[in-house]
Amino acid sequence: MIEAKDLVKRYGPHTAVDHATFKIERGEIVGFLGPNGAGKTTTMNMLTGYLSCTEGTVTVDGMNILEHPLEVKKRIGYLPENPPLYPEMTVREYLQFAGEIKKVPKQELPKRIDEVMQTVGITDVAGRLVRNLSKGYKQRVGLAQAMIGKPDILILDEPTAGLDPKQILEIRQLIKDLGKSHTVILSSHILPEVSAVCKRVLIINQGKIVADDTPENLAKRLLGGSHLLLRIDGTPQQIESATRKVENVRNLSFKESQEPGTVEVVVESDKDKDIRRDVSKALGAAGLPILMMRSLDMTLEEIFLHLTTKEEEVAKV
Amino acid sequence: MMSILKRELKSYFLTPIGYIYMGFFLLVAGVFFTFGNLITRSSQYTGFLGGILFIYLFAVPLLTMRLFSEEKRQRTDQLLLTSPISIPEVVLGKFLAAFTVYLITLVITVMYALVVGIYGDLSFWETLGAYIGFIFLGASYIAVGVFVSAGTENQLTSALVSFFSLLMIWLIDPISNSLPVDLTAGIIFAALLVVALCGYIYLNTKNLYITAAVFLLGAIIIAASYFIDKVVFIGFMRKFFSWFSLNKRYENFSMGLLKVDSLVYYLSFTGLFLFLTVRLLEKQRWV
Repeated sequence: MIEAKDLVKRYGPHTAVDHATFKIERGEIVGFLGPNGAGKTTTMNMLTGYLSCTEGTVTVDGMNILEHPLEVKKRIGYLPENPPLYPEMTVREYLQFAGEIKKVPKQELPKRIDEVMQTVGITDVAGRLVRNLSKGYKQRVGLAQAMIGKPDILILDEPTAGLDPKQILEIRQLIKDLGKSHTVILSSHILPEVSAVCKRVLIINQGKIVADDTPENLAKRLLGGSHLLLRIDGTPQQIESATRKVENVRNLSFKESQEPGTVEVVVESDKDKDIRRDVSKALGAAGLPILMMRSLDMTLEEIFLHLTTKEEEVAKV
Repeated sequence: MMSILKRELKSYFLTPIGYIYMGFFLLVAGVFFTFGNLITRSSQYTGFLGGILFIYLFAVPLLTMRLFSEEKRQRTDQLLLTSPISIPEVVLGKFLAAFTVYLITLVITVMYALVVGIYGDLSFWETLGAYIGFIFLGASYIAVGVFVSAGTENQLTSALVSFFSLLMIWLIDPISNSLPVDLTAGIIFAALLVVALCGYIYLNTKNLYITAAVFLLGAIIIAASYFIDKVVFIGFMRKFFSWFSLNKRYENFSMGLLKVDSLVYYLSFTGLFLFLTVRLLEKQRWV
C-alpha cells in the first residue's frame, strides 16, 4: 500500500531522516514513536509529498510520489501537527474549500461535508469561525479535512498533542474507528497512546528506524527472560544457597533494600517459565520469609527509553 | 484553480486587508483627483492617471503581501501542497485573486473619468489607452509581489521587500541613464552576467562540467558578437536594465498608443515572475 525505501532527508550537514525503510499494508494502524526531533514529522512530510526526500523513494499503490504526485496525494489524507486551518473561515466554508481542492465531485460535496462532520463530531460548530474554536475542535476540523477526500491512507502527526485527557480519549477512539476502514499512520511521543491504538510500532530515533514490531512483541524481544523482584528477610549467602537448586533460575542480582535487615534480589529465569511457586517453596523450606514478590515486566515506556538511549544494546538484541 | 481563486477572493474581504487596500487606494486617488482636477478645474485626466501609477507603488505590496507568507505562517501551505492540486494552479489562483481585487478597484476610478467627460473635455483614446496599460502594468506589479510573498514568512517583510523591488523598477530609468554606454563597459558587463549565471548554475547543480560548458558558451557568444558586430555592446548595460523598466512602456499607453510589443512585454514579465514563483515554491520543498 505505502512503501518507503531508503528515505533520506538532509538539511545541510544535518541528517533528519537516515535511510528509513518500511512497508505498510492496507488496513494497518501504525504508530511512529520517537522523542521530539527524531524525524517523525519529516518522515510524514515526505510520505505526503510536502517535502521532497534527498534520497530514496516513496511509493503508494505502486506509484512513485515524484512521478505521479497528484494521484498519490488523492490517496492520502494528512493532518499535520498544527492543523492547517484558515481562521477567517467558518468550519463549513473551510471543509467546502478542502473538499474542492481534494477533487470531491461537486454534487457529492455537501453530503460528504455532513458525513465527515458527523464522524468527527463537529456538526454543532459548522457555522462558527475556525478562529473561535477550542484546540480540541480545531484538531477535529483538521481531521475532517484529512478525511474529506475519501483517502485510503490517513497520516496523522501527533493527533492528540495539546488536548485535554477527555478529548484525547475521544480522538483515540475516533482513530480506532477510522482504522477499520483506512490505513492509519500516526506519530506520537506518548507511549500509552501508541500501545492503545496501534497494532504495529516503528520506533524512530535520530532519523533511524530502530525497531519495527507489535507492542507486545517489542516487550518480549527486549526482556530476554522473565524477572522477579523479591524482598527477603535473610542474607545473600542464605538466599543463594536456597535458590541454587530451583529449576530454570539463571541469575541472581542483589540490591540494597530500604528495609533494614532485608535483602532485595532480582531473580532472572528462562523465557516463558513461571518460577514463582518453586522459588517460594525453596525459600520457605530454607526458613527465609518472603516479604514482597513482584514480576518485572518491561513497560513500553522502558523499552522506548532503552531503545532510544542505548543503541548498542539494541544492536545486541 | 477556481477554488483557490474563490477562497483567496473571499479571504480578501473576510480579513481587513481587502478593505485596507481599497480604502487606501481610493482615498489617495480621491485626494489626487480633488486637488488635481476638481479644485483646479482641469480636465487633464492623464495627469491624474500618472498619479495613480505612483499610488500602486505603495498599494500593490499591500495587496500581495499575505498571499503566500500568511499560508506559511499559518502552515496552511501544508494543506495546499499535500492536496491533489498542482503548484502552478495555486500560484495562478492567488495571482488572479489579487488581480481581480486590483481590477475592481481600478474600475471604481472610471467614475472620475465620467465626471471629467461630463463636465469637461476627456481625451477618450488616451484615457482608454491608459486604462488598458494599467491592466497589464498592474499584472506585472502583482506578479512581482506574488513572487516576493512566496519567499517570505512574514507579511511585513513581504510588503517591504515588494515595495523596494517596485521602487527599484521605478528607479531603473534614471539609474540606467547615468550608466556608461561605451564598448568596454558593455563587454565587461556581458562578462559579469556570464560569470553570475555560471555561479548560479554551480550553486544549484554543483556540477563543474555544466558550469564550465556554460562559461565557455558565454565566452564564445561574447567573442562572436564582438567580431561580428561591435555595436551590440554599445549601451548594452542600459538596454539590459531598461528591460526591467515597467513604467517606460506604460508611457506609450497613456499617449493612446496600443503597441503589441508592450503588451507582449508585460505578459512575458508577468509570466516570468509567476514561473519564478512556482520554481521558488518547488525549491522550498527540497531545502
